[in-house]
Formats: sequence, structure tokens, C-alpha cells
Amino acid sequence: MSIFEYNGSALIAMVGKNCFAIASDRRLGVQLQTIATDFQRIYKVHDRLFLGLSGLATDAQTLYQRLVFRHKLYQLREERDMKPETFASLVSAILYEKRFGPYFCQPVIAGLGDEDKPFICTMDSIGAKELAKDFVVAGTASESLYGACESMFRPDMEPEDLFETISQALLSSVDRDCLSGWGGHVYVVTPTEVKERILKGRMD
Amino acid sequence: MSQVAVEAPPKGGFSFDLCRRNGMLSKKGVPPPSYRKTGTTIVGLIFQDGVILGADTRATEGPIVCDKNCEKIHYMAPNIYCCGAGTAADTEAVTDMVSSQLQLHRYHTGRESRVVTALTLLKSHLFKYQGHVQAALVLGGVDANGPHLHTIYPHGSTDTLPFATMGSGSLAAMSVFESKYREGLTKEEGIKLVCEAICSGIFNDLGSGSNVDVCVITKGQKEYLRNHQLPNPRTYVSSKRFSFPKKTEVLLTRITPLKEMVEVIGGGDIMEE
Amino acid sequence: MDLGKVNLDAPHSMGTTIIGVTYNGGVVLGADSRTSTGVYVANRASDKITQLTDNVFVCRSGSAADSQIVSDYVRYFLHQHTIQLGQPATVKVAANLVRLLAYNNKNMLQTGMIVGGWDKYEGGKIYGVPLGGTIIEQPFSIGGSGSSYLYGFFDQAWKEGMTKDEAEQLVVKAVSLAIARDGASGGVVRTVIINSEGVTRNFYPGDKLPLWHEELEPHNSLLDILNSTSPEPMNI
Repeated sequence: MSIFEYNGSALIAMVGKNCFAIASDRRLGVQLQTIATDFQRIYKVHDRLFLGLSGLATDAQTLYQRLVFRHKLYQLREERDMKPETFASLVSAILYEKRFGPYFCQPVIAGLGDEDKPFICTMDSIGAKELAKDFVVAGTASESLYGACESMFRPDMEPEDLFETISQALLSSVDRDCLSGWGGHVYVVTPTEVKERILKGRMD
Repeated sequence: MSQVAVEAPPKGGFSFDLCRRNGMLSKKGVPPPSYRKTGTTIVGLIFQDGVILGADTRATEGPIVCDKNCEKIHYMAPNIYCCGAGTAADTEAVTDMVSSQLQLHRYHTGRESRVVTALTLLKSHLFKYQGHVQAALVLGGVDANGPHLHTIYPHGSTDTLPFATMGSGSLAAMSVFESKYREGLTKEEGIKLVCEAICSGIFNDLGSGSNVDVCVITKGQKEYLRNHQLPNPRTYVSSKRFSFPKKTEVLLTRITPLKEMVEVIGGGDIMEE
Repeated sequence: MDLGKVNLDAPHSMGTTIIGVTYNGGVVLGADSRTSTGVYVANRASDKITQLTDNVFVCRSGSAADSQIVSDYVRYFLHQHTIQLGQPATVKVAANLVRLLAYNNKNMLQTGMIVGGWDKYEGGKIYGVPLGGTIIEQPFSIGGSGSSYLYGFFDQAWKEGMTKDEAEQLVVKAVSLAIARDGASGGVVRTVIINSEGVTRNFYPGDKLPLWHEELEPHNSLLDILNSTSPEPMNI
């Protein structure tokens, strides 16, 4: 078994019209045993920038703490929030630093940049960036997520449409993955508000 | 010596902190993870007035295609570009590092970068890590000494060639070059041959796929032709959009309004001194 | 090695034939031009005879990366040395620098080299620096995977006091013999002649080399063989 499958996870980010959505499942397991069903995998970096960390939960939390620390240093020095592109480069640099002894997690970054332009990005565990225009996925359910997103995604969706699409893609994919599930956690971010929703899913 | 309580941002170089833990996990039978690879076809050739580089656009992670349209032709300097194959993070990092060293060198000397400078920086980095930084590169550019094309292997050896291929599709691409390359190709012929070599990689090698990127570098100018050919368009687009008759069941909704950006128009009262 | 699968992750190495021969007045260096990764020929026209200074060259074999880094360092040291000394470095100095690097890093390096050149004190000299970092001054030296096919030939064919042309013909003949028998050697033959007058580089393309036992004439198509020579291909 790969170490990435130890805790189980599913993550997606999608781009809509002047908005984006990022979603994850809520399960934390130790192999096949479920430990928690309200686990937070998506972290807020600042109001318009979110970070999802799939993979080994212990590494995800450590990495998140280091990233928050670095972001706060940036805020102190620059008196502004990081742009999503900058944050992605920071994550990539921190991961690549551990090229020969990596953190076992694969991040998903989603944010609104200048002029409310949505930005999404994922990386492998050593920081190889993949900048997609439409959607990115990560976690143990990534294979089924690729399929679901590939068929459900349409460009320029409005926030409500985007929410429905990302939720359906998430829920249908985690149903085919033993290691993730127990509902979902969805953030839809528009220039004016952040809408956070908790989804009901199968509980097996 | 007292332990520093807060870790300061590092100055550079690799960190081997987690190697012991990860080594312990490997020993307990947890296999090390697979990284994003660019199982790739990358090529380059010299034509009558410069260099042409070409690449496919598929990135893979094991058997999964994780990026259908990635960029494998990296910027090194205004007159030098570099195609990368191997572990995606390594090709990206090594080309970024060297391109910034070249930029600093240009600021220092005020002269155009030379291809051999890039070559030496790349090969000494790769040699230092004895093949563990898995980057196989095709480096091309035009400088004061004319056009140059080099291949760089992960262990740090280099070759100088009139035409070169790298990556898992290199055999397919090389067969095209070996049968059709000649000296003194025109730009159009060169681009055509590069596209043909990349396409033979795309269609005959499973690690390569999607589109053709081309970069033409001549004396004093360059053309980056991103997605020059799209031989694999999506064929299964449904005209009907997906509709979800039953709405997703939501347990809880929390709405956080974002702070409005306040713009100050016109001057207020001047502050009393 | 798995012959069914081309292993592109294998280190880039030069299964090679390299030769250095002294004659009356200078030295001739020779090499084939094949560089391979596993069973794939990564470069069929490489140059394994690398210049160190105006009057000293080195033939490289083994790992391409290692031999390149060693010759790059030695070239750099010799440039410094030449400036400090105010006159050309001797072949002995160059060979000793190669030896120093090869010996001090013998656990890291997989490379055998032949240093050859001419200087005003000792004339033409050949030094072999094999795998562990010993240095051997020899009248002729052969190296690389192809050399095992050549020891007997050289014992028979090498003569004291050859002329330049005799020596070069010997080198070309020897490399072409090794190319014929050694799978890891191939391509073209390159030679470098160094003497008091300077350096001459020569190039012998693969289709102009002598043919040895059971070798076939070069053909553009295998069908030519069927059509022209004999109607029954197996009737030889």
C-alpha cells in the first residue's frame, strides 16, 4: 500500500466565471478504519486563497503550519496578502526543498487573483506544478475524479452551477473509493463572498 | 547549543530532515511514492539560421495522464530555451535555478548569455547529484558564436549534435530525424521535421501525447509556438450539458461576506498639525 | 541486461575503443564514436578525444559524465598552470593531474583515460590512466571495451620507430577491427596526431573503413543484397 493511501482523501478545485470552488471529502481513516468523519482537509490561507492537502494527514498538518508561518512573515514584510501564483511558487519551493525526503502530500491551491481572476493549481509531493485552466484533482479518489470532472465540467459556470457540478463530481467519485467519503466540504468563492457548505453523503 | 525555537526560512539547498522517517517507512514495506513524470518526446535540430526545439505536452503519474497540455520547453535566457524530460519537479527546478543564475550573470556582465554557460551550469548541478536529480534536457540557443544544440543526461554528461532527441519517445523521434534530417534546412522545413518527429513520439510512445509545442530561435529573435499543432482534439464532447435533477443535499451553509475594497475618492479635510 | 527493453535510465556511457600510439616524432590518438545508454546508441558521432591544452589530448572511456568532468577540471587546472609557468604544460603534468583526480576520487569515478601529447622536453608521450587511478607511461596504450580484441594484434603489429603514416594507419586499422568485433564500439574513427609541428585531426567515416572477416558491403537497403549479389541468399 502506498503511504498516500494511509488516511484516504479526495480533493477537487474548479474554475467558474469570476469564481472558483474547492471541495474535499470529510473522512480521516487509518487504512480501512475510519477515525473521524468531520476532518478538515481544506485550509484558508486568506479570504480569497484556499489550500487543500491530500495524502498523509500528519504531513499535511505540518506542511500547513509551515505555510501559514511563511504567509504571515510575508504579510508582515509586505503588508498585503499573497497572490495565488506567489503562494503556489512558495508551496512548490517548500516541497522541492525536500526532494529526497518528501512530505507525503499533494496540495491543491485555489484562489482569486488580481481583477478577480480565478487561479487553481496542483502539485505532486515534490512540487511539480500543474497549472490547469479548468479543474484539478488529488487524493485516493483522483482516478474517478478525473473521469467525473472530465465529463461534468463546463467552462464559465455561475457560482450556484459550479457548486452543483463540483458536489456531484465529488460525491459520485468518492462512492467508488473505499478510503474517502462521509460527505463533503465545499467552498465556493466569489469576489463578494465565501460560501461554505457541508454535503450529506453516504456513511459507509 | 540551544535549539532555535522558530525555524527561520531556509537560505537554499535541499533538506534531508524527513529522509530517516521515509527510509524507515520504506523498510517497513511502504513503497516510496511515484512522482509526476514527463514521459516525454523532446527534440531539437539546427537549421540554416538557428535552432528549433520541439516537445509534446503530456505529463504522467504512473499510468494516469495528469496534465494533457503542460509546457516542456522552458525559458533559460532570451536567446536560450531548454526542453525537459524526466521527473517534472526536477526539470522545472533545475531550469528555473539556472535561468536565474544566467539572469544575474547578464546583470553583472551586461552581455547576452551564452549557451555553453547554461550547459556548464546545468551539467555541474546534475553531476553533483549523481543522477538523483532526474532531468534529461535538450538545450538550444543562438549566441555570439552562432547556433548551439546540446543534450544533457541526468548523470551530467553532455553531447553536442546537429539534431537531438530525448525522453521515452526519443527512439521514435530519432528514427524520423535519422531518415529525413539534412544540413541547411529552411525554417519551414525545420518546423515541419520537428513536428513530424514529435508526432511520431505522440503516436508511437505511450508516455508522450497531446499537442506539439515548438520554439524557433534565430539570431536576435525567437518564436515560441505554443500548441503549434493539435493532433489530438477532444472527440467526445456532449452537446447537451449535464443537469442534476435532484439537488445535492446540503447539511450546513455558512456565508462569509468578503470585505469590500474601499476606494477613497477626493481629498478629505487636511489633518490638523 | 534486458535486451528486449531499451533502458533509457541507464547511465550514459562509452563502451569504447581508444588507442594512443607513439611514433618517431610524436603520438597518434584514435577512438571510435559510439556513446550508448544501455543498448541504445545515444550518439553515433561523438568525439572521445578531448583537447586539454594546445599540445595535450585525452581519450576518454567509461562513464561519459565522469570522464567529461575529469577532463573539464584538468583543462581548467592546466590553463592556470600554463599561465603561472609562462610556457606550455608538459604531457607528464597533464597525465599526473588526470591521475590525481582519478586516484583521489576512485570510489566515485568509472572512467579510464589515455593521455597523449607532445612537449619539447620529452617529445611524444602516451600515459594510460586506467580505472583505479594508476599512471603508466607506455609506448602504446589501448583502452575501453574494444581493447580486449586488440592486445594480440598490437603485440604483433606495433613496431618501434614507425613513421607518422604507419602509426596512423595502425590506429585506424585497430579501431576498425575493434568496431567489427565489439558491439559497444562503432560509428566512425577519429584520430588526432600531435608532434612538434602541431595538431592534425582526421576523420574516417564508417562506410570508408576496411571490411574484415564476414563483414558486408554497406547498403542503403537490405533488398540490394538480395537483388545484386546472389539470387539465393543462403547459398554462400
